[in-house]
Amino acid sequence: MELPVLNETPAASAGGCSSHSCGTSDDQLGHLSDEIRSKVENHPCYSEDAHHYFARMHVAVAPACNIQCHYCNRKYDCSNESRPGVVSELLTPDQAVKKTMAVAANIPQMTVLGIAGPGDPLANPERTFETFRRLSAEAPDIKLCVSTNGLALPESVEELSKHNIDHVTITINCVDPEIGAQIYPWIFWENKRIKGVKGAKILIEQQQKGLEMLAAKGILVKVNSVMIPGVNDKHLAEVSKIVKAKGAFLHNVMPLIAEAEHGTFYGVMGQRGPTQDELMELQDSCSGDMNMMRHCRQCRADAVGLLGEDRGDEFTMDKIESMEIDYQSAMEKRKVIHEAIAEEMHSKRAAKVEKAASHAEEPKLNTRPVLMAIATSGQGVINMHFGHAKEFLIYEASPNGVRFMSHRKTDLYCGGDDTCGDGESVLQQTIRSLAGCEAVLCSKIGYEPWDLLEKAGIVPNGEHAMEPIEEAVMAVYKEMAAAGKLDEAAPQEERATA
Amino acid sequence: MALQIIESCVNCYACEPLCPSKAIYMSEKAGHFRINPKKCTECEGDFKDTQCASICPIEGAILDALGVPINPPGSLTGIPPERMAEAMAELQAH
Repeated sequence: MELPVLNETPAASAGGCSSHSCGTSDDQLGHLSDEIRSKVENHPCYSEDAHHYFARMHVAVAPACNIQCHYCNRKYDCSNESRPGVVSELLTPDQAVKKTMAVAANIPQMTVLGIAGPGDPLANPERTFETFRRLSAEAPDIKLCVSTNGLALPESVEELSKHNIDHVTITINCVDPEIGAQIYPWIFWENKRIKGVKGAKILIEQQQKGLEMLAAKGILVKVNSVMIPGVNDKHLAEVSKIVKAKGAFLHNVMPLIAEAEHGTFYGVMGQRGPTQDELMELQDSCSGDMNMMRHCRQCRADAVGLLGEDRGDEFTMDKIESMEIDYQSAMEKRKVIHEAIAEEMHSKRAAKVEKAASHAEEPKLNTRPVLMAIATSGQGVINMHFGHAKEFLIYEASPNGVRFMSHRKTDLYCGGDDTCGDGESVLQQTIRSLAGCEAVLCSKIGYEPWDLLEKAGIVPNGEHAMEPIEEAVMAVYKEMAAAGKLDEAAPQEERATA
Repeated sequence: MALQIIESCVNCYACEPLCPSKAIYMSEKAGHFRINPKKCTECEGDFKDTQCASICPIEGAILDALGVPINPPGSLTGIPPERMAEAMAELQAH
Protein backbone atom coordinates (compact mmCIF):
# COMPACT_ATOMS: atom_id res chain seq x y z
CA MET A 1 0.00 0.00 0.00
CA GLU A 2 1.25 3.49 -0.64
CA LEU A 3 1.34 6.11 2.04
CA PRO A 4 1.86 9.30 0.10
CA VAL A 5 3.93 11.97 1.76
CA LEU A 6 1.77 14.77 0.67
CA ASN A 7 3.96 17.61 1.85
CA GLU A 8 6.70 16.53 -0.48
CA THR A 9 4.54 16.16 -3.55
CA PRO A 10 3.75 19.29 -5.52
CA ALA A 11 0.17 18.95 -6.71
CA ALA A 12 1.18 19.90 -10.24
CA SER A 13 2.98 16.60 -10.62
CA ALA A 14 -0.28 14.82 -9.90
CA GLY A 15 -2.14 16.69 -12.59
CA GLY A 16 -3.14 19.74 -10.61
CA CYS A 17 -5.49 18.20 -8.17
CA SER A 18 -5.56 14.47 -7.83
CA SER A 19 -7.66 12.89 -5.16
CA HIS A 20 -4.43 11.67 -3.58
CA SER A 21 -3.12 15.03 -2.63
CA CYS A 22 -5.87 17.59 -2.80
CA GLY A 23 -7.70 18.61 0.29
CA THR A 24 -5.22 16.97 2.55
CA SER A 25 -3.86 19.07 5.30
CA ASP A 26 -0.28 18.06 4.72
CA ASP A 27 -0.76 19.26 1.23
CA GLN A 28 -1.87 22.73 2.28
CA LEU A 29 1.58 24.03 1.65
CA GLY A 30 2.38 21.75 -1.24
CA HIS A 31 1.18 24.23 -3.84
CA LEU A 32 3.32 27.04 -2.57
CA SER A 33 6.60 28.46 -3.70
CA ASP A 34 9.63 27.75 -1.52
CA GLU A 35 9.64 31.37 -0.43
CA ILE A 36 6.11 31.20 0.94
CA ARG A 37 6.68 27.81 2.51
CA SER A 38 9.69 29.07 4.39
CA LYS A 39 7.58 31.97 5.67
CA VAL A 40 4.85 29.74 7.05
CA GLU A 41 6.59 26.57 8.14
CA ASN A 42 6.80 27.66 11.76
CA HIS A 43 3.41 29.37 11.82
CA PRO A 44 0.91 27.24 13.74
CA CYS A 45 -2.13 28.85 12.13
CA TYR A 46 -0.95 28.34 8.56
CA SER A 47 0.88 25.05 8.66
CA GLU A 48 -0.84 21.93 9.96
CA ASP A 49 2.57 20.41 10.54
CA ALA A 50 3.76 23.42 12.55
CA HIS A 51 0.69 23.58 14.74
CA HIS A 52 1.82 20.46 16.59
CA TYR A 53 5.01 22.25 17.69
CA PHE A 54 4.71 26.03 17.65
CA ALA A 55 2.48 28.28 19.69
CA ARG A 56 0.71 31.56 19.02
CA MET A 57 -0.78 34.32 21.06
CA HIS A 58 -3.29 37.08 20.54
CA VAL A 59 -3.22 40.42 22.32
CA ALA A 60 -6.57 42.11 22.81
CA VAL A 61 -5.72 45.73 22.02
CA ALA A 62 -8.46 46.44 19.47
CA PRO A 63 -11.89 46.89 21.05
CA ALA A 64 -13.68 48.99 18.42
CA CYS A 65 -15.45 47.56 15.41
CA ASN A 66 -16.77 49.17 12.26
CA ILE A 67 -19.32 46.53 11.25
CA GLN A 68 -21.85 44.20 12.88
CA CYS A 69 -21.86 40.49 12.08
CA HIS A 70 -24.83 38.30 12.93
CA TYR A 71 -22.56 35.76 14.68
CA CYS A 72 -21.04 38.31 17.03
CA ASN A 73 -22.29 39.95 20.20
CA ARG A 74 -20.17 42.87 21.38
CA LYS A 75 -21.43 42.54 24.95
CA TYR A 76 -19.91 39.15 25.50
CA ASP A 77 -17.07 38.32 27.85
CA CYS A 78 -17.00 34.95 29.57
CA SER A 79 -13.78 33.41 30.82
CA ASN A 80 -15.17 29.94 30.12
CA GLU A 81 -15.77 30.69 26.49
CA SER A 82 -13.33 30.02 23.74
CA ARG A 83 -14.33 31.56 20.46
CA PRO A 84 -13.36 34.56 18.33
CA GLY A 85 -14.27 37.99 19.61
CA VAL A 86 -14.26 37.00 23.27
CA VAL A 87 -11.67 38.46 25.69
CA SER A 88 -11.30 38.96 29.40
CA GLU A 89 -8.87 41.83 29.65
CA LEU A 90 -8.42 44.70 27.22
CA LEU A 91 -4.77 45.78 26.91
CA THR A 92 -3.07 49.07 26.08
CA PRO A 93 -0.29 48.79 23.46
CA ASP A 94 2.28 49.11 26.24
CA GLN A 95 0.71 46.25 28.21
CA ALA A 96 0.44 44.19 25.04
CA VAL A 97 4.17 44.57 24.35
CA LYS A 98 5.02 43.54 27.92
CA LYS A 99 2.69 40.56 27.75
CA THR A 100 4.09 39.41 24.41
CA MET A 101 7.66 39.55 25.65
CA ALA A 102 6.73 37.75 28.89
CA VAL A 103 5.03 34.96 26.97
CA ALA A 104 7.88 34.71 24.45
CA ALA A 105 10.38 34.33 27.28
CA ASN A 106 8.29 31.72 29.13
CA ILE A 107 6.88 29.77 26.16
CA PRO A 108 9.83 29.76 23.76
CA GLN A 109 7.89 27.84 21.11
CA MET A 110 5.66 30.91 20.71
CA THR A 111 6.54 32.23 17.25
CA VAL A 112 3.52 34.29 16.30
CA LEU A 113 1.75 37.30 17.75
CA GLY A 114 -1.59 38.18 16.27
CA ILE A 115 -4.00 41.03 16.77
CA ALA A 116 -7.50 39.77 16.17
CA GLY A 117 -9.80 41.91 18.21
CA PRO A 118 -12.01 41.75 20.16
CA GLY A 119 -13.22 44.30 17.58
CA ASP A 120 -11.54 44.88 14.24
CA PRO A 121 -7.79 45.62 14.49
CA LEU A 122 -7.88 48.07 11.58
CA ALA A 123 -10.78 49.97 13.13
CA ASN A 124 -8.30 50.72 15.95
CA PRO A 125 -5.34 51.77 13.81
CA GLU A 126 -3.47 53.72 16.49
CA ARG A 127 -3.55 50.98 19.12
CA THR A 128 -2.88 48.20 16.60
CA PHE A 129 -0.02 49.90 14.78
CA GLU A 130 1.66 51.16 17.93
CA THR A 131 1.74 47.56 19.19
CA PHE A 132 3.19 46.34 15.88
CA ARG A 133 5.71 49.19 15.67
CA ARG A 134 7.10 48.51 19.12
CA LEU A 135 7.18 44.73 18.74
CA SER A 136 8.98 44.80 15.42
CA ALA A 137 11.68 46.93 17.10
CA GLU A 138 11.82 45.27 20.53
CA ALA A 139 11.06 41.61 19.71
CA PRO A 140 12.24 41.13 16.13
CA ASP A 141 12.14 37.32 16.34
CA ILE A 142 8.35 37.25 16.60
CA LYS A 143 6.18 37.04 13.50
CA LEU A 144 3.33 39.53 13.49
CA CYS A 145 -0.04 38.99 11.95
CA VAL A 146 -3.42 40.62 11.92
CA SER A 147 -6.92 39.58 11.04
CA THR A 148 -9.60 41.92 9.78
CA ASN A 149 -13.10 42.14 8.38
CA GLY A 150 -11.55 44.10 5.49
CA LEU A 151 -13.60 47.29 5.62
CA ALA A 152 -10.63 49.50 6.54
CA LEU A 153 -8.06 47.31 4.78
CA PRO A 154 -7.28 49.32 1.61
CA GLU A 155 -6.32 52.42 3.63
CA SER A 156 -4.15 50.29 5.96
CA VAL A 157 -2.10 48.31 3.44
CA GLU A 158 0.70 50.88 3.25
CA GLU A 159 1.13 50.97 7.04
CA LEU A 160 0.88 47.15 7.31
CA SER A 161 3.69 46.73 4.81
CA LYS A 162 6.02 48.86 6.95
CA HIS A 163 6.14 46.45 9.88
CA ASN A 164 7.24 42.88 10.37
CA ILE A 165 3.82 41.77 9.09
CA ASP A 166 3.83 39.29 6.28
CA HIS A 167 0.57 37.57 7.12
CA VAL A 168 -2.93 39.03 7.01
CA THR A 169 -6.21 37.17 7.49
CA ILE A 170 -9.38 38.61 5.95
CA THR A 171 -12.76 37.20 6.93
CA ILE A 172 -14.72 36.95 3.68
CA ASN A 173 -18.09 35.26 4.04
CA CYS A 174 -19.51 36.16 0.64
CA VAL A 175 -18.98 38.00 -2.63
CA ASP A 176 -22.69 38.59 -3.23
CA PRO A 177 -24.24 41.63 -1.45
CA GLU A 178 -27.65 39.93 -1.22
CA ILE A 179 -26.07 37.13 0.82
CA GLY A 180 -23.97 39.70 2.66
CA ALA A 181 -27.11 41.50 3.85
CA GLN A 182 -28.14 38.28 5.63
CA ILE A 183 -24.80 38.19 7.47
CA TYR A 184 -23.97 41.86 8.09
CA PRO A 185 -26.86 44.03 9.32
CA TRP A 186 -24.80 47.25 9.07
CA ILE A 187 -21.42 48.83 8.52
CA PHE A 188 -20.05 52.22 9.59
CA TRP A 189 -18.71 53.93 6.49
CA GLU A 190 -17.81 57.55 5.72
CA ASN A 191 -19.41 58.80 8.93
CA LYS A 192 -22.71 56.98 8.42
CA ARG A 193 -24.27 53.74 9.53
CA ILE A 194 -25.24 51.92 6.33
CA LYS A 195 -27.63 49.00 6.56
CA GLY A 196 -28.61 46.07 4.36
CA VAL A 197 -27.46 45.28 0.83
CA LYS A 198 -25.89 48.71 0.35
CA GLY A 199 -23.61 48.25 3.36
CA ALA A 200 -22.73 44.67 2.43
CA LYS A 201 -21.80 45.79 -1.10
CA ILE A 202 -19.31 48.36 0.20
CA LEU A 203 -17.81 45.82 2.62
CA ILE A 204 -17.36 43.23 -0.14
CA GLU A 205 -15.72 45.79 -2.45
CA GLN A 206 -13.29 46.86 0.27
CA GLN A 207 -12.42 43.23 1.12
CA GLN A 208 -11.68 42.36 -2.49
CA LYS A 209 -9.71 45.55 -3.08
CA GLY A 210 -7.69 44.98 0.10
CA LEU A 211 -6.94 41.39 -0.92
CA GLU A 212 -5.65 42.53 -4.33
CA MET A 213 -3.51 45.29 -2.78
CA LEU A 214 -1.93 42.91 -0.25
CA ALA A 215 -1.22 40.30 -2.91
CA ALA A 216 0.42 42.99 -5.08
CA LYS A 217 2.72 43.85 -2.15
CA GLY A 218 3.66 40.21 -1.60
CA ILE A 219 1.98 40.03 1.82
CA LEU A 220 0.53 36.58 2.45
CA VAL A 221 -3.25 36.53 2.73
CA LYS A 222 -5.34 33.83 4.34
CA VAL A 223 -9.11 34.02 3.92
CA ASN A 224 -11.42 32.92 6.72
CA SER A 225 -15.05 32.11 5.97
CA VAL A 226 -17.77 31.24 8.44
CA MET A 227 -20.00 28.48 7.08
CA ILE A 228 -23.64 29.35 7.78
CA PRO A 229 -26.03 26.61 6.58
CA GLY A 230 -28.80 27.98 4.37
CA VAL A 231 -27.08 31.38 4.10
CA ASN A 232 -23.66 31.06 2.46
CA ASP A 233 -22.89 27.31 2.45
CA LYS A 234 -23.65 26.89 -1.25
CA HIS A 235 -21.83 30.13 -2.05
CA LEU A 236 -18.47 29.44 -0.40
CA ALA A 237 -17.06 27.26 -3.18
CA GLU A 238 -17.38 30.32 -5.45
CA VAL A 239 -15.78 32.55 -2.77
CA SER A 240 -12.90 30.07 -2.60
CA LYS A 241 -12.36 30.25 -6.37
CA ILE A 242 -12.42 34.06 -6.45
CA VAL A 243 -10.10 34.65 -3.50
CA LYS A 244 -7.62 32.15 -4.85
CA ALA A 245 -7.63 33.88 -8.24
CA LYS A 246 -6.89 37.16 -6.47
CA GLY A 247 -3.90 35.72 -4.65
CA ALA A 248 -5.02 34.34 -1.27
CA PHE A 249 -2.80 31.37 -0.39
CA LEU A 250 -5.02 29.57 2.09
CA HIS A 251 -8.76 29.30 2.71
CA ASN A 252 -10.07 28.44 6.14
CA VAL A 253 -13.74 27.47 6.28
CA MET A 254 -14.92 27.52 9.88
CA PRO A 255 -18.23 26.33 11.30
CA LEU A 256 -20.71 28.90 12.60
CA ILE A 257 -20.87 28.90 16.39
CA ALA A 258 -24.38 29.95 17.43
CA GLU A 259 -26.05 29.43 20.80
CA ALA A 260 -28.95 31.43 22.22
CA GLU A 261 -26.96 32.20 25.37
CA HIS A 262 -24.36 34.06 23.30
CA GLY A 263 -27.05 36.63 22.52
CA THR A 264 -26.04 36.80 18.85
CA PHE A 265 -28.59 37.24 16.06
CA TYR A 266 -27.98 33.72 14.76
CA GLY A 267 -27.98 32.25 18.27
CA VAL A 268 -31.23 33.87 19.32
CA MET A 269 -32.98 33.31 15.99
CA GLY A 270 -32.17 29.60 16.07
CA GLN A 271 -29.80 29.53 13.08
CA ARG A 272 -27.92 26.24 13.33
CA GLY A 273 -24.24 25.65 12.71
CA PRO A 274 -23.07 23.01 10.23
CA THR A 275 -22.62 19.37 11.23
CA GLN A 276 -19.11 17.88 11.13
CA ASP A 277 -20.07 16.08 7.93
CA GLU A 278 -21.40 19.21 6.22
CA LEU A 279 -18.24 21.10 7.14
CA MET A 280 -15.93 18.37 5.86
CA GLU A 281 -17.95 18.05 2.67
CA LEU A 282 -17.68 21.78 1.98
CA GLN A 283 -13.96 21.80 2.79
CA ASP A 284 -13.53 18.96 0.32
CA SER A 285 -15.56 20.71 -2.39
CA CYS A 286 -13.50 23.90 -1.96
CA SER A 287 -10.19 22.08 -1.87
CA GLY A 288 -10.27 21.48 -5.61
CA ASP A 289 -9.69 25.19 -6.05
CA MET A 290 -7.66 26.08 -3.03
CA ASN A 291 -5.33 25.09 -0.27
CA MET A 292 -7.75 24.34 2.52
CA MET A 293 -7.04 24.69 6.17
CA ARG A 294 -8.65 22.32 8.62
CA HIS A 295 -6.83 22.72 11.89
CA CYS A 296 -8.19 26.14 12.90
CA ARG A 297 -9.37 26.26 16.51
CA GLN A 298 -11.35 29.52 16.24
CA CYS A 299 -9.51 30.85 19.23
CA ARG A 300 -10.30 33.74 21.51
CA ALA A 301 -8.96 37.21 20.75
CA ASP A 302 -6.64 36.82 23.77
CA ALA A 303 -5.59 33.17 23.45
CA VAL A 304 -2.07 32.07 24.47
CA GLY A 305 -0.34 28.76 23.72
CA LEU A 306 -0.46 25.91 21.23
CA LEU A 307 -3.63 25.81 19.12
CA GLY A 308 -6.23 24.01 21.18
CA GLU A 309 -4.83 25.17 24.49
CA ASP A 310 -5.15 28.48 26.27
CA ARG A 311 -2.60 29.50 28.88
CA GLY A 312 -3.92 33.05 29.12
CA ASP A 313 -4.50 32.69 32.87
CA GLU A 314 -0.74 32.40 33.47
CA PHE A 315 -0.18 35.77 31.85
CA THR A 316 -2.73 38.19 33.26
CA MET A 317 -1.49 41.78 33.62
CA ASP A 318 -1.05 41.55 37.39
CA LYS A 319 1.21 38.51 36.95
CA ILE A 320 3.16 40.11 34.12
CA GLU A 321 3.89 43.31 36.05
CA SER A 322 5.96 41.29 38.52
CA MET A 323 7.95 39.36 35.88
CA GLU A 324 11.47 40.50 35.06
CA ILE A 325 12.15 39.79 31.39
CA ASP A 326 15.62 39.88 29.87
CA TYR A 327 14.53 39.70 26.25
CA GLN A 328 18.04 39.56 24.79
CA SER A 329 18.85 36.31 26.57
CA ALA A 330 15.31 35.01 25.99
CA MET A 331 15.84 35.56 22.27
CA GLU A 332 19.04 33.50 22.29
CA LYS A 333 17.28 30.69 24.12
CA ARG A 334 14.34 30.87 21.72
CA LYS A 335 16.65 30.62 18.72
CA VAL A 336 18.21 27.38 20.00
CA ILE A 337 14.78 25.89 20.72
CA HIS A 338 13.33 26.92 17.34
CA GLU A 339 16.28 25.31 15.56
CA ALA A 340 15.82 22.10 17.52
CA ILE A 341 12.12 22.01 16.64
CA ALA A 342 12.84 22.69 12.97
CA GLU A 343 15.32 19.82 12.98
CA GLU A 344 12.79 17.50 14.62
CA MET A 345 10.14 18.48 12.06
CA HIS A 346 12.53 17.89 9.17
CA SER A 347 13.68 14.52 10.44
CA LYS A 348 10.06 13.42 10.93
CA ARG A 349 9.24 14.54 7.42
CA ALA A 350 12.22 12.59 6.08
CA ALA A 351 11.07 9.52 8.02
CA LYS A 352 7.69 9.86 6.37
CA VAL A 353 9.27 9.87 2.92
CA GLU A 354 11.15 6.71 3.79
CA LYS A 355 7.99 5.04 5.09
CA ALA A 356 6.13 6.02 1.95
CA ALA A 357 8.78 4.42 -0.18
CA SER A 358 8.49 1.14 1.71
CA HIS A 359 4.68 1.25 1.61
CA ALA A 360 4.72 1.87 -2.12
CA GLU A 361 6.06 -1.68 -2.54
CA GLU A 362 2.98 -3.21 -0.95
CA PRO A 363 -0.17 -4.03 -2.93
CA LYS A 364 -2.78 -1.29 -2.79
CA LEU A 365 -5.87 -1.92 -0.67
CA ASN A 366 -9.31 -1.46 -2.07
CA THR A 367 -11.12 -0.62 1.14
CA ARG A 368 -13.44 2.13 2.31
CA PRO A 369 -12.10 5.16 4.24
CA VAL A 370 -12.29 5.28 8.05
CA LEU A 371 -12.27 8.22 10.47
CA MET A 372 -10.19 7.96 13.64
CA ALA A 373 -9.88 10.30 16.61
CA ILE A 374 -6.46 11.08 18.11
CA ALA A 375 -5.60 12.38 21.59
CA THR A 376 -2.43 14.47 21.40
CA SER A 377 -0.87 17.39 23.20
CA GLY A 378 1.51 18.19 20.32
CA GLN A 379 4.76 17.08 18.66
CA GLY A 380 2.73 15.08 16.13
CA VAL A 381 2.58 11.97 18.34
CA ILE A 382 -0.13 10.15 20.30
CA ASN A 383 0.71 11.33 23.79
CA MET A 384 -2.48 12.13 25.65
CA HIS A 385 -4.66 10.21 28.05
CA PHE A 386 -8.22 9.83 26.74
CA GLY A 387 -9.73 11.46 29.81
CA HIS A 388 -7.41 14.47 29.64
CA ALA A 389 -8.16 15.34 26.04
CA LYS A 390 -9.98 18.64 25.63
CA GLU A 391 -10.12 17.98 21.92
CA PHE A 392 -9.44 15.20 19.44
CA LEU A 393 -7.81 15.47 16.03
CA ILE A 394 -9.75 13.60 13.38
CA TYR A 395 -7.82 11.75 10.66
CA GLU A 396 -9.13 9.84 7.69
CA ALA A 397 -7.35 6.66 6.66
CA SER A 398 -7.96 5.25 3.19
CA PRO A 399 -5.98 3.32 0.59
CA ASN A 400 -4.66 6.73 -0.55
CA GLY A 401 -3.03 7.44 2.76
CA VAL A 402 -3.76 9.33 5.94
CA ARG A 403 -5.07 12.86 6.03
CA PHE A 404 -5.99 15.30 8.74
CA MET A 405 -9.67 16.25 8.56
CA SER A 406 -10.62 18.39 11.55
CA HIS A 407 -10.50 18.72 15.29
CA ARG A 408 -13.38 18.23 17.66
CA LYS A 409 -13.70 19.88 21.01
CA THR A 410 -14.96 17.74 23.85
CA ASP A 411 -16.20 20.59 26.02
CA LEU A 412 -18.31 22.24 23.33
CA TYR A 413 -16.70 25.69 23.66
CA CYS A 414 -17.50 26.03 27.33
CA GLY A 415 -15.70 24.75 30.44
CA GLY A 416 -18.14 26.09 33.02
CA ASP A 417 -20.38 23.09 33.48
CA ASP A 418 -22.08 24.22 36.71
CA THR A 419 -23.98 27.00 35.03
CA CYS A 420 -24.24 25.77 31.47
CA GLY A 421 -24.36 21.95 31.72
CA ASP A 422 -27.40 20.15 30.45
CA GLY A 423 -27.13 17.07 32.65
CA GLU A 424 -25.15 15.01 30.17
CA SER A 425 -21.88 13.80 31.71
CA VAL A 426 -18.60 15.04 30.29
CA LEU A 427 -17.80 11.50 29.20
CA GLN A 428 -21.08 11.11 27.33
CA GLN A 429 -20.52 14.47 25.66
CA THR A 430 -17.01 13.46 24.68
CA ILE A 431 -18.21 10.23 23.13
CA ARG A 432 -20.99 12.03 21.30
CA SER A 433 -18.42 14.44 19.86
CA LEU A 434 -16.66 11.44 18.28
CA ALA A 435 -19.68 10.39 16.21
CA GLY A 436 -18.62 8.98 12.85
CA CYS A 437 -15.21 7.83 14.11
CA GLU A 438 -14.52 4.10 14.26
CA ALA A 439 -11.43 4.16 16.48
CA VAL A 440 -9.87 6.44 19.04
CA LEU A 441 -6.10 6.39 19.58
CA CYS A 442 -4.70 7.69 22.86
CA SER A 443 -1.78 7.04 25.19
CA LYS A 444 -3.98 5.50 27.90
CA ILE A 445 -7.64 5.00 28.64
CA GLY A 446 -9.69 3.98 31.70
CA TYR A 447 -12.18 1.10 31.97
CA GLU A 448 -15.33 3.19 32.07
CA PRO A 449 -14.71 5.13 28.86
CA TRP A 450 -13.38 1.93 27.23
CA ASP A 451 -16.73 0.26 27.84
CA LEU A 452 -18.83 3.20 26.73
CA LEU A 453 -16.75 3.71 23.58
CA GLU A 454 -17.16 0.07 22.58
CA LYS A 455 -20.91 0.35 23.13
CA ALA A 456 -20.91 3.40 20.86
CA GLY A 457 -19.15 1.39 18.14
CA ILE A 458 -15.79 3.15 18.53
CA VAL A 459 -12.76 0.95 19.11
CA PRO A 460 -10.48 2.32 21.86
CA ASN A 461 -6.78 1.82 21.21
CA GLY A 462 -3.90 2.60 23.58
CA GLU A 463 -1.29 0.53 21.80
CA HIS A 464 0.37 3.33 19.85
CA ALA A 465 1.42 5.67 22.65
CA MET A 466 4.23 8.06 21.63
CA GLU A 467 4.08 6.94 17.99
CA PRO A 468 3.75 9.44 15.12
CA ILE A 469 0.06 10.01 14.39
CA GLU A 470 -0.01 9.19 10.67
CA GLU A 471 1.94 5.96 11.09
CA ALA A 472 -0.25 4.75 13.94
CA VAL A 473 -3.45 5.59 12.05
CA MET A 474 -2.23 3.66 9.01
CA ALA A 475 -1.19 0.70 11.19
CA VAL A 476 -4.65 0.55 12.78
CA TYR A 477 -6.28 0.91 9.37
CA LYS A 478 -4.29 -2.02 8.06
CA GLU A 479 -5.24 -4.12 11.09
CA MET A 480 -8.89 -3.31 10.45
CA ALA A 481 -8.47 -4.27 6.80
CA ALA A 482 -6.73 -7.53 7.70
CA ALA A 483 -9.49 -8.37 10.20
CA GLY A 484 -12.05 -7.97 7.45
CA LYS A 485 -13.72 -5.03 9.19
CA LEU A 486 -13.54 -2.83 6.13
CA ASP A 487 -15.54 -5.23 4.00
CA GLU A 488 -18.53 -4.28 6.09
CA ALA A 489 -20.30 -1.00 5.54
CA ALA A 490 -19.49 1.90 7.86
CA PRO A 491 -21.48 1.75 11.12
CA GLN A 492 -23.74 4.71 10.32
CA GLU A 493 -24.77 3.10 7.03
CA GLU A 494 -25.68 -0.08 8.92
CA ARG A 495 -27.89 1.94 11.20
CA ALA A 496 -29.55 3.68 8.29
CA THR A 497 -30.54 0.41 6.68
CA ALA A 498 -31.43 -1.40 9.89
CA MET B 1 -28.64 69.94 23.64
CA ALA B 2 -26.48 66.94 24.26
CA LEU B 3 -26.46 63.18 23.89
CA GLN B 4 -25.81 60.81 26.77
CA ILE B 5 -24.01 57.47 27.12
CA ILE B 6 -25.49 55.25 29.82
CA GLU B 7 -24.26 52.27 31.83
CA SER B 8 -24.99 49.66 29.16
CA CYS B 9 -21.89 51.00 27.34
CA VAL B 10 -19.37 48.13 26.91
CA ASN B 11 -16.28 50.37 26.59
CA CYS B 12 -15.47 49.42 23.01
CA TYR B 13 -13.88 52.83 22.28
CA ALA B 14 -15.48 53.02 18.82
CA CYS B 15 -17.21 56.36 19.42
CA GLU B 16 -14.43 58.20 21.22
CA PRO B 17 -12.15 59.10 18.27
CA LEU B 18 -15.13 60.04 16.07
CA CYS B 19 -16.48 62.85 18.23
CA PRO B 20 -15.87 66.20 16.45
CA SER B 21 -16.16 68.07 19.78
CA LYS B 22 -13.97 65.74 21.86
CA ALA B 23 -16.88 65.46 24.27
CA ILE B 24 -16.52 61.72 24.92
CA TYR B 25 -14.35 60.61 27.84
CA MET B 26 -13.76 57.51 29.92
CA SER B 27 -15.37 58.09 33.29
CA GLU B 28 -13.43 56.17 35.94
CA LYS B 29 -16.24 56.90 38.36
CA ALA B 30 -18.99 55.48 36.15
CA GLY B 31 -16.80 52.67 34.74
CA HIS B 32 -17.77 53.50 31.17
CA PHE B 33 -17.58 56.22 28.53
CA ARG B 34 -19.63 59.36 29.05
CA ILE B 35 -20.42 62.53 27.13
CA ASN B 36 -19.57 65.96 28.49
CA PRO B 37 -22.88 67.81 27.96
CA LYS B 38 -21.10 71.16 27.85
CA LYS B 39 -19.05 70.06 24.84
CA CYS B 40 -21.52 67.87 22.90
CA THR B 41 -23.00 69.62 19.86
CA GLU B 42 -24.89 66.55 18.56
CA CYS B 43 -22.46 66.90 15.63
CA GLU B 44 -24.34 69.98 14.44
CA GLY B 45 -22.34 71.66 11.69
CA ASP B 46 -19.90 68.74 11.40
CA PHE B 47 -21.92 65.69 10.35
CA LYS B 48 -25.42 64.91 9.23
CA ASP B 49 -25.67 61.93 11.62
CA THR B 50 -24.56 61.91 15.25
CA GLN B 51 -21.27 60.01 15.08
CA CYS B 52 -21.27 58.17 18.40
CA ALA B 53 -24.78 56.85 17.84
CA SER B 54 -23.91 55.84 14.27
CA ILE B 55 -21.10 53.46 15.27
CA CYS B 56 -22.28 52.33 18.72
CA PRO B 57 -23.03 48.55 18.56
CA ILE B 58 -25.12 48.49 21.76
CA GLU B 59 -28.84 49.15 21.47
CA GLY B 60 -30.05 51.64 24.04
CA ALA B 61 -26.61 52.80 25.19
CA ILE B 62 -26.88 56.30 23.70
CA LEU B 63 -29.81 58.60 24.47
CA ASP B 64 -30.87 61.77 22.67
CA ALA B 65 -31.46 65.11 24.40
CA LEU B 66 -34.94 63.93 25.44
CA GLY B 67 -33.58 60.74 27.01
CA VAL B 68 -34.86 58.50 24.21
CA PRO B 69 -32.58 55.69 22.90
CA ILE B 70 -31.28 56.61 19.44
CA ASN B 71 -30.81 52.89 18.66
CA PRO B 72 -33.85 51.16 20.16
CA PRO B 73 -34.01 47.38 20.80
CA GLY B 74 -33.82 45.36 17.58
CA SER B 75 -32.58 48.28 15.47
CA LEU B 76 -28.93 47.17 15.32
CA THR B 77 -28.95 43.42 15.81
CA GLY B 78 -32.11 42.78 13.81
CA ILE B 79 -33.38 40.55 16.62
CA PRO B 80 -37.09 41.35 17.21
CA PRO B 81 -37.42 42.37 20.89
CA GLU B 82 -40.19 39.78 21.44
CA ARG B 83 -37.92 37.01 20.16
CA MET B 84 -35.08 38.20 22.40
CA ALA B 85 -37.41 38.20 25.42
CA GLU B 86 -38.61 34.68 24.56
CA ALA B 87 -35.07 33.36 24.16
CA MET B 88 -33.98 34.88 27.46
CA ALA B 89 -37.03 33.42 29.23
CA GLU B 90 -36.20 29.98 27.83
CA LEU B 91 -32.63 30.26 29.08
CA GLN B 92 -33.78 31.38 32.53
CA ALA B 93 -36.15 28.42 32.78
CA HIS B 94 -33.39 26.01 31.83
